[in-house]
Amino acid sequence: MATNDKSIPPAKPTDGETVFGDNVRATSALGSLAVKAGAVGVISLGISAALGMSQGDGFRRFTLSYLTAFMWGLAICLGAIYWVTLQHLVNAKWSTVLRRVGEVLANTAPVFGVLALPIVVPIFLGNSSVYVWADHAKVEADHLLHHKAGYLNSGFFLVRYVLYFGFWTLLARFYLRKSLEQDKSSAPEGIRKRLQAAAGPGMIVYALAVTFFSIDLVMSVDPYWFSTIFGVYYFASCVLCINSTAALSAMWLQNNGALKKSVTTEHFHDLGKMMFAFTIFWAYTGFAQFMLIWYANIPEETAWYKERFAHGWGDLSIALLVLHFIVPFFGLLSRHVKRNRKALAFWAFWILGVVYLDMYWLIMPATHSEDVPFGLIDITTLAGIAGVLIGAAAFLAKNLTLVPVKDPRLAHSVAFENI
Amino acid sequence: MSHDHETPKSSEPKPAPLHGLLAEYESPWDLIEAAKKVREAGFSRWDTYTPFPVHGIDKAMGIRMTILPWIVLGAGLTGLACGILLQWWTNAVDYPWIVSGKPFWSIPANVPIMFEMTVLFSAITTLVGMLMLNGLPHPSHPLDLKERFARATDDRFFLLVQASDPKFDLKLTRNLLSSTNPAVLDDVNEDRTTSNDLPKLFVYGMVILTAAAAVPFALAFKARFTKSRDTRIHLIGDMDWQPKYKAQRQNPFFADTRAQREDVVGTVAVGEFQDDDAFFKGKQGTAYVRTFPERVQLNDATIDRGQARYGIYCAPCHGLAGDGKGMVNQRAEQLISAGTGKGMAWVQPSNISQDYIKQQPVGQLYETITNGIRNMPAYASQIPPEDRWAIVMYLRALQRKGPAAP
Repeated sequence: MATNDKSIPPAKPTDGETVFGDNVRATSALGSLAVKAGAVGVISLGISAALGMSQGDGFRRFTLSYLTAFMWGLAICLGAIYWVTLQHLVNAKWSTVLRRVGEVLANTAPVFGVLALPIVVPIFLGNSSVYVWADHAKVEADHLLHHKAGYLNSGFFLVRYVLYFGFWTLLARFYLRKSLEQDKSSAPEGIRKRLQAAAGPGMIVYALAVTFFSIDLVMSVDPYWFSTIFGVYYFASCVLCINSTAALSAMWLQNNGALKKSVTTEHFHDLGKMMFAFTIFWAYTGFAQFMLIWYANIPEETAWYKERFAHGWGDLSIALLVLHFIVPFFGLLSRHVKRNRKALAFWAFWILGVVYLDMYWLIMPATHSEDVPFGLIDITTLAGIAGVLIGAAAFLAKNLTLVPVKDPRLAHSVAFENI
Repeated sequence: MSHDHETPKSSEPKPAPLHGLLAEYESPWDLIEAAKKVREAGFSRWDTYTPFPVHGIDKAMGIRMTILPWIVLGAGLTGLACGILLQWWTNAVDYPWIVSGKPFWSIPANVPIMFEMTVLFSAITTLVGMLMLNGLPHPSHPLDLKERFARATDDRFFLLVQASDPKFDLKLTRNLLSSTNPAVLDDVNEDRTTSNDLPKLFVYGMVILTAAAAVPFALAFKARFTKSRDTRIHLIGDMDWQPKYKAQRQNPFFADTRAQREDVVGTVAVGEFQDDDAFFKGKQGTAYVRTFPERVQLNDATIDRGQARYGIYCAPCHGLAGDGKGMVNQRAEQLISAGTGKGMAWVQPSNISQDYIKQQPVGQLYETITNGIRNMPAYASQIPPEDRWAIVMYLRALQRKGPAAP
């Protein structure tokens, strides 16, 4: 860190209320958001459960719809964990101003651990309406499921579920706790070093956890199919989600009086660059998965895609390609778009929307309906998860300072300038 | 001090004209401040030189955004279009070619190349475009003559205002630059000392390289358009010439000079021991058998098998009804009637319901299938004996069905 760099004003975080003359708290706004969003979330989930019961299919439709919304919401949380870990790992200086936002979003992990119960508990009880391998009798009767039973069985699944959410919760809490400790510490550089050291192993375990989690919850809905890039594909969505959500969160905070000076166009520009880059990365992993299966043309592998190209799902597949890749690629190409708040907000919402579309495309063909069965229950589950996520994050953040005030890189981050 | 008649030739070169004023700074911040001043003074022909990118210098100098991104976008789209066009033309138009059972123009297979060409064109254009927009490579510059300027790649920061700038005034500009507190303020003169010609070695090298590069093409051209009695140049032998004897070669070691030894008399290949003449040849002694051999089962399954095999091997010529009007026959007659079969002799395949064939013993029918007759080839190599008997049984069924129209 160039301490004699006169172009960067020295860090003077003294009172914790303002940093460089900028308001770093938004207690009342966040508090009111927590209540409103939380209410919307809980009520929507209740309506979803009622709708699910009314389907009369053993909550199958509900579980699939809920799983879709859950994977979408969790992508934001997992993206946040990744992002925070990454910033520490590479000692990034541009992002320090935004890191508290990421840390808060990451700490919704335990909330998702609880939200996962409607999916996990039926598996543990042997309910095979969504996950056929959860039923022991069916596994015995089917040769392939029997072969995979060493991994796809409810006992091991439960253990993994505990490990995933345990690890994510611990890692997220570690980073937030230490960051808050650093705020009051007299030796912030030591804490920074510690956090960087933990990031290496943390990232490795994180990668494994995300990979196998996505396999467990999404890929195993069709236990006869497999794709070795599936974890990476879901991870791409996680990164897209966090960059979009971080941008929108920062904008909301600024609209509510905080961080008006600290988070600048330069930061939004960089978030926009990541949104652009990972739009390409998502398409890259998605196409890599598709092309190999298409080319080899082996029925065991193509069946999954065949289902997604038939009837209404074919239109959805084209829509996914166009809306998730082609449109945002050209939309986010220009630096002027990335440096314009309204435009970037538009694309952030767009990306969050198409990530949901992607989850829908991954999971909902399991309904085996010819046409895309989009209905009210999909809207309510999405609103439910989103509401709970926003509510939990706002509740967490309301009593915190919104920047890591004593992080040695904070001054660099505020003065950050893109080329 | 008298007037010397010979005025000595002036050996002093004329002083080179001024190229510009060069200010040297010890820190990037001083350079930025100086740049702001120079920009505010309204100069347009000036530049700064730093060892590393300096944040804020673009804004201080008033450098506008480059158009390079737009050029790269155009290049990228061109690359994309070229990738599509290349693959579509070569695979779907010029030489339609089925690969892995995919359509001629299979877009998923084309995507990697399309992606690569987009990136390739973009990347090369970025590099070349950046160099060209910067006027690079610039092999010779008056600043090369200033020894101090070498520190521009080390630890000093320079600002040069060119004398050709419309606002340039030697005294005023010098004062302006002095006011920015440079470590050193110096004149830069045009380069009138070094030659403008390319170094001789460079020229010779390019000529020799170009000539050498043409050699492979010349050789290829020669090989393409001349004939030769020599064997091909076989550069990498691998294991192409092996000191062993192959089946049909000569080997002086043996009395009959053949490499191949004859079979021991009475040798029979595994599974080929044909002990039953009636079954394998359709004959008992020299006479055709009149009944089906014992091991041929007289049941529906055999007739069904015979029907299926007939449909595969016999129906193309003899037709499904056995009337000799199979697809081959139809095509031949079509060719003859269309005139393109001129000079063609075509005999219709036999109608197997003809009386003389009905009267042939089953063994003879079997032998016909085995060895062929007249224009019909031998089917022994294609149809195993069991299937041949099955076909014979089916033929009998066809013949019993009734006379087929001639």
